[in-house]
Amino acid sequence: MYVAVKGGELAIANAHRLLADRRRGDREQAELEVDQIQGQLRLAVDRVMSEASLYDSELAALAIKQASGDMIEAVFLLRAYRTTLPRLAVSEPLDTGTMRIERRISATYKDIPGGQVLGPTYDYTHRLLDFLLLAEGETPAAEPGEQPLAPCPQILELLDAEGLIERERDDGSEPADITRDPPDYPVDRAARLQMLARGDEGYLLALGYSTQRGYGRNHPFAGEIRLGQVEVEIFVEEWGEAVCVGEVALSECQMINQFGGSREAAPQFTRGYGLAFGHNERKTLAMALVDRALRAEELGEEVQGPAQQAEFVLAHADNVEASGFVSHLKLPHYVDFQSELELLRRLRREYENRMHDKEEDAPTEDSL
Amino acid sequence: MPWPTLNDPVHDSQRLFRQLLAALSEPGTLHTLEAPTPPEGGIGTALWGTLLTLCDLDVRVWLAAELDTPALREALLFHTGCRLTDEPTQADYALVTPATMRDAPDFAQGSDEHPERSTTLLVALDTLVTADSAGGSWRLSGPGIPGQRALSVGERARPLMRQLAASRERFPRGLDAILACGKRLVALPRTTRLEEIA
Amino acid sequence: MNGYNFAYLDEQTKRMIRRALLKAVAIPGYQVPFGGREMPMPYGWGTGGMQLTASILGADDVLKVIDQGADDTTNAVSIRAFFERVAGVETTTVTTAASVIQTRHRIPETPLEPGQILVFQVPIPEPLRFIEPSEQETRLMHALEEYGVMHVKLYEDIARHGHIATTYAYPVKVAGRYVMDPSPIPKFDNPKLDMSPALLLFGAGREKRLYAIPPYTRVESLDFEDHPFEVQRWDERCALCASADSFLDEVITDDAGGRLFVCSDTDYCESRREESA
Repeated sequence: MYVAVKGGELAIANAHRLLADRRRGDREQAELEVDQIQGQLRLAVDRVMSEASLYDSELAALAIKQASGDMIEAVFLLRAYRTTLPRLAVSEPLDTGTMRIERRISATYKDIPGGQVLGPTYDYTHRLLDFLLLAEGETPAAEPGEQPLAPCPQILELLDAEGLIERERDDGSEPADITRDPPDYPVDRAARLQMLARGDEGYLLALGYSTQRGYGRNHPFAGEIRLGQVEVEIFVEEWGEAVCVGEVALSECQMINQFGGSREAAPQFTRGYGLAFGHNERKTLAMALVDRALRAEELGEEVQGPAQQAEFVLAHADNVEASGFVSHLKLPHYVDFQSELELLRRLRREYENRMHDKEEDAPTEDSL
Repeated sequence: MPWPTLNDPVHDSQRLFRQLLAALSEPGTLHTLEAPTPPEGGIGTALWGTLLTLCDLDVRVWLAAELDTPALREALLFHTGCRLTDEPTQADYALVTPATMRDAPDFAQGSDEHPERSTTLLVALDTLVTADSAGGSWRLSGPGIPGQRALSVGERARPLMRQLAASRERFPRGLDAILACGKRLVALPRTTRLEEIA
Repeated sequence: MNGYNFAYLDEQTKRMIRRALLKAVAIPGYQVPFGGREMPMPYGWGTGGMQLTASILGADDVLKVIDQGADDTTNAVSIRAFFERVAGVETTTVTTAASVIQTRHRIPETPLEPGQILVFQVPIPEPLRFIEPSEQETRLMHALEEYGVMHVKLYEDIARHGHIATTYAYPVKVAGRYVMDPSPIPKFDNPKLDMSPALLLFGAGREKRLYAIPPYTRVESLDFEDHPFEVQRWDERCALCASADSFLDEVITDDAGGRLFVCSDTDYCESRREESA
């Protein structure tokens, strides 16, 4: 006699032990240390911090180690930790204009006040495997720059001064907080940008790419991309002033897009915006493209590409939500499947009966 | 004398919440709340326990003039961190008496798209008696009620009850009410049909 | 568990969910938006149900967790172990001994009792979602009580198959007003929703919605006069307890297509076998 599968508890415990063993790998090899990940897999750490919405490189590195390098699993680990943290204070808005710049480029002007600085980038590397890294050759230290860049003006401010680009206004309203309130569609731009900032990089990359291929084209120029440290300030009531509590590394992309304007309003460039923790340039480019695409309705453009459909884009951007729901297909669905089976058998039985009746009713050769 | 708060915030608020949940799921059932008793003349044990259970910095509370005392304000802000509002339409919870409702303050009723964005009334009463079917001055029916229940709330609360009864026309918009007297509490969500027994 | 509050969630999150639950019972069948939090388990695996359970659970509660009707499926085991760990509550597999039951895809066969709370895990709370993908639109349809499309969809099934082809997550109308998704329970369980003496709570974590059916509330499954609602029936009986009126899981016993049927509700099946033993 068949006995229903028992022992789920033991099976789960054993699976966890096996997983931990596989994660550790060959014991002959030194165990990977969290500070190695933190220091040497910097871009992975930055991506996990961004998509988990928690700026803590040590915990992000721990999550990457614990997840055996599965980035979405690492984002999930860090996000689930974040949600248990109390909210102690709300920072003043960050001013990226005061950024201590490590990298800054513009695709719209050859020379810009403050200069273009390539900084640490893979952009012009030849993608040839470096077998020296395999042979454990030591990397020479970089020459330190002559002097750190002074805070540089934002390129788009220059266009703004001429009135050539739409002005971003702070209307003073309290922005939504997507970590506390569920989105109430249609959501405003502040909420959209928050959702994009923690959205999956690959997803935004594909959507941004789709706008370049004609599904909601918006004629983008990378006005400015900057990367560096920005101070975080908190306003202290007792002291009546804001105090700096630390720095965060940020990547920012300000995209310049083709004109808006109408009979009543003068033509102007429009903007798309991308921001992410750490060195996360590709993400911010993609985010800026998608942000601009999502402004279609506001700017009176026809919605014709998936990247312009706010509910579609935003409801599916979060990889913690997406991977959870996709992977839930691994859970048992015996009951629902049984319900479908029962119906399908009934429908087939009825179909066969109908066919059978038809055959019987059909005139035979004798009767003709 | 400072107002008292929950001895065990985690477990006391859980227990009180379950009573509130039972009260709103089964309108007209009577619940006796074991909660800290505020000083005399205030809002009674059940309502104070309700406020301690539900309020925090994400909540806006409106206080009726006849209940509004410096001691209550201080206690609410100190123990829950909630925000007080003078705008009835902004209130998540409104602490009222039957007398308050004579001026028909403009509490939030929610919208057809978002009926949950409404004010919940916390009503301090002098009389609160439930009965199974007969007896009582109001007959209750609707979701959460097998058949009927009955309720007496005193003559002074009649205009309030009439307002609640009339607001049923606007469902799903409407006001949910938690009625309390001392330690005792009954809830009348917006789904409960109220009929006056002659 | 060290470093975490009783039942995992912090008190502020619990209060937010509790306030939303009070709205949910006051507007039966209406999906109340709530600030769903990440749980340490994946979305789609019951995070909505778990947030509700964590918000209502007290030290005196006795918790039962089922998935597909069974207490011993891996996800049920995992969720039960989670609450044992973070809340230290007593757990049970016996339906009648539980004060709170968290479930995925079934309602127990043993009738629920007054005072019990059944918490459903919900993947897609919006019953109109597969007809109208936009949240803005479906919100308006609920506001205007515009449910004609749902009947059209069900009727298209009848035209094509001769039957309504929805077998689980079968839409219901609650207290004569809101059309509601009862979560992917088989329609076999729908009649148990009607005038249930237990409080029924529904949590969708990823979609950040919760809703409720208070006890003793009218719940009708949508149907047509010429095609009344009906539940699944089996020609077979349970191979273990011989029940003829429970929901049966089909079990394939060999590669020659041999199969038998057993109760999906393991507690119900075991208690029947104990009685007859």
